[in-house]
Amino acid sequence: MSEHVFIGRRAPRHDALPKVTGALKFANDLEAPGMLIGRIYRSPYAFADIARVDVSEAERLGAVVITPDEVPRKLFNPRLVSVDEVTYKDHLILTKRPRYIGEPIAAVAAPSEELAQRALESIRIEVERVYKPVLDPFEAMSPSAPLIHEEIMKGDQVLKVERNIAARLSYTEGDVDKAFREASVVVERSFRSGKRYHMQLEPKAVLCVPEPGGKLTIYATTQTIHNTRILISQLFDIPESKITVVKVPIGGSFGSSIQVNYLVPIAVALCLKARRPVKIAYTREEDMLDHSNYVFHMRLKVGAKRDGEIIAGEFHNILDIGAHQIQAYPLLGTSLGWFVSMYKWKNIRYEGVAVYTNKVPSCALRGYGAPEVQWAVETVIDELAEELGVDPVELRLKNYVGRGDIFWGQGPTVRSVIKSDGVPELLLKGRELIGWDKRGRPEEKKGRFRRGIGLGRGFHTSGAGGPISGEVIDFTGAVLKLNEDGTLDYITALQDHGGGTLDAHVKIIAEELQVPPERINLALATTENTPYDVCTHASRGVFVGGEAARRAASIVKQKILEAAVRLLPMAVNPEALRIRYDPAREDAVIYVEGMPEYSITLRELARKVWQKNWGTIAAVVTYRATSAPPSFTVYYVEVEVDTWTGKVRPVRVVAGADVGTPINPDMVEGQLHGGFAMAWGMVFSEDTPYNPETGELANRFLITDYKIPTAQDLPRLEDFKAVIASTKEPSGPFGAKGLGEAAMNPAAAAICNAIYNATGVRVYELPVTPDKLLKLIKEREGPA
Amino acid sequence: MRVSFKLNGRPVEVDVAPNELLINVLRDKLKLTGTKYGCGIGECGACTVLVDGKPVLSCLTLAVDVNGREVVTVEGVSEDGNPTPVQRALVEEGAIQCGYCTPGFVMVGEYLRSKKRAYSEEEIRSLIRGNLCRCTGYVNIVKALAKALGGG
Repeated sequence: MSEHVFIGRRAPRHDALPKVTGALKFANDLEAPGMLIGRIYRSPYAFADIARVDVSEAERLGAVVITPDEVPRKLFNPRLVSVDEVTYKDHLILTKRPRYIGEPIAAVAAPSEELAQRALESIRIEVERVYKPVLDPFEAMSPSAPLIHEEIMKGDQVLKVERNIAARLSYTEGDVDKAFREASVVVERSFRSGKRYHMQLEPKAVLCVPEPGGKLTIYATTQTIHNTRILISQLFDIPESKITVVKVPIGGSFGSSIQVNYLVPIAVALCLKARRPVKIAYTREEDMLDHSNYVFHMRLKVGAKRDGEIIAGEFHNILDIGAHQIQAYPLLGTSLGWFVSMYKWKNIRYEGVAVYTNKVPSCALRGYGAPEVQWAVETVIDELAEELGVDPVELRLKNYVGRGDIFWGQGPTVRSVIKSDGVPELLLKGRELIGWDKRGRPEEKKGRFRRGIGLGRGFHTSGAGGPISGEVIDFTGAVLKLNEDGTLDYITALQDHGGGTLDAHVKIIAEELQVPPERINLALATTENTPYDVCTHASRGVFVGGEAARRAASIVKQKILEAAVRLLPMAVNPEALRIRYDPAREDAVIYVEGMPEYSITLRELARKVWQKNWGTIAAVVTYRATSAPPSFTVYYVEVEVDTWTGKVRPVRVVAGADVGTPINPDMVEGQLHGGFAMAWGMVFSEDTPYNPETGELANRFLITDYKIPTAQDLPRLEDFKAVIASTKEPSGPFGAKGLGEAAMNPAAAAICNAIYNATGVRVYELPVTPDKLLKLIKEREGPA
Repeated sequence: MRVSFKLNGRPVEVDVAPNELLINVLRDKLKLTGTKYGCGIGECGACTVLVDGKPVLSCLTLAVDVNGREVVTVEGVSEDGNPTPVQRALVEEGAIQCGYCTPGFVMVGEYLRSKKRAYSEEEIRSLIRGNLCRCTGYVNIVKALAKALGGG
């Protein structure tokens, strides 16, 4: 810790005070003079052909209205993270063929919300045909099922869709059949996850303002200002230079705004027609119709030799992707990546199929499939250990993918060599802290309340960079300038979803320049004053964005030293100078090495550089990471199962994280707290089931029936222990890696393995609500 | 309809429709956007304000109901422009991530503080169960409230 002055120091985040006083403005808090309020007319049918949309009454009421015929009719994909050749396009801004209940058909804008709502309610549609919704992916693949899409685009190629299969990916390595024949123990299991909703606290909002000269300014809830600009430019044929997207704070996201949310192009279309500012803010119900995650139907088969060496892994992965493709194809690749990068299977077979259904389009949700895949893998590994009669910790240590191995978490085209690995430390420390060896066996546990301990090990990548270009776009940028009083302005397009990413950047710059973090201003960032950044996703904020910030700071530092040579002429060249933080002067001091009496503070230097007409000291960096190192996480969880009610209580949690150097240790812990809570919801409650007849969300789009954990559902303060591994990632800024997603990924597996240790019941379907768990316990125990 | 009430210590008068909700009057008419819309059906607690010192969900409260009463929003809790002990503790304990739920927790915290008694961790967890947070797992929020409320 002592090697750094600012990194690793606990400090309040830069935006804590504006947030706690209510002063910080989110997208829905913004307004513009003359602004109209937009509302979206949504399909009441899960799958239908609309003949006509009658908006005459809405127009008579004075609303500006757009229909499918009045907006650009280009097929598009709202997510621009993959390269175009592998981007599947099947969306329209407004559609006459709705494919899920809630799909936008028309939109209105009016000076008041009330008038907009009245106009909305006056819209009538004439339906040509209503189809029975297809809600099950296996049913969707049957030859008799109606086609949800007939033709889509892949890049600029037209693709005919067959059997509702949106995309496929297969992979083989070695001789899997032979390996299974040679294996002493083979375990094969099927799993199904829930269709979870992000339930970020902030429903999406957008404000689109027309500017003089045919320009547009867009303030939107987004994880990517640049891709928002590119998409709007492409859809509406407006040059990028005429569109400015402004970065506004985001109230949590968890992947739900990697794609440009549907309300953004709708607001733009309304704004272009009305020639007035238009704001749309989703209701919670609408937000639930905008995004939820992928459902995984997985079959895993693994084989090992008697000595515990794993020799084969097979993974069948059917993804229920809902009505449109956002990132189904890349998810087939990352699912494979999450699988192969868990253990050294040696012989691998993978078959991934993404299938359309008439449900809300699926998108990434914290972990992008890793929580689901790691839940399945870690369950099977637990079972394998039991069959082999070895300690599950030892089995993992023997077979996991670690230092020196090839890691390709983000899919087949994003590979790099693992250089930092805290797995042994976390597995062994956690085992000690939780009391692993005293956990007992399920059959020894009796009585109503039964306790069990479970382990889940996993990882997430830090970004999607790599040594070759691949199918994923991943680079970022940073702008840093020294102001005339020695403060600095830092500009980045990267978003802070709440995890403290940008505070980490500030600390990284502070460390490089030895200036206090308070002197660095996180400046307003827009698409016109920042270099391109793909998106704040894939846990890349600190690892990729932080390194861009460090490089910008390093260039600025070099220029500071060059200026200092002119101000301290006794120094022969910049290499003769050093820079260090001086707490007495609360400033960076530049001095001649070994002769601190020859020195100048950064404040003095900045002022002199200005007064002497030497120009501005600044740097613009664009940065591509050539690796995407794994951040490993290990969860040990103790639960107590009430075998009478099926309710489960968390007793103790040891959450271990290998994040390399923790830039913000308090925020590292914050990620683990939140990651565990989200996993708890994934295991016990979170799902959005559909009415099989109508295709309606069974909870009627209300969060009343979408339970996320409350403060009462989670462990007591003293029972949650965060452990940070002492590693350092050579390719990361000051040794740092990412964490946001790794913080959650293996936690669900640990919880489910703990349920097994308590009750002997294995969980293969999530969520396992109390009624379901009770049924599983009763099935296992037989009639009393 | 014209309603008048005390808002953050100052008298206000505002024209509202009979069915208009307090959250919309605060946010759209009075431009106090610190009170957040999270669900509109009283499930998430992000819109919590104090009416006559008690926490209410402004998304379920008619504006006409606060006529003649005293309303405090997150913008009005500070003491002489300084953050309150609850606000300070939330900042210091790292209880703020995305910050969207934060105003709701501040208001519940202020209500508990006004009772001038100590709360145990269990009591705090129970009293904030109507406020949802998706980022923090509530750990540092509970820690902060325990600190500010002198919990034992």
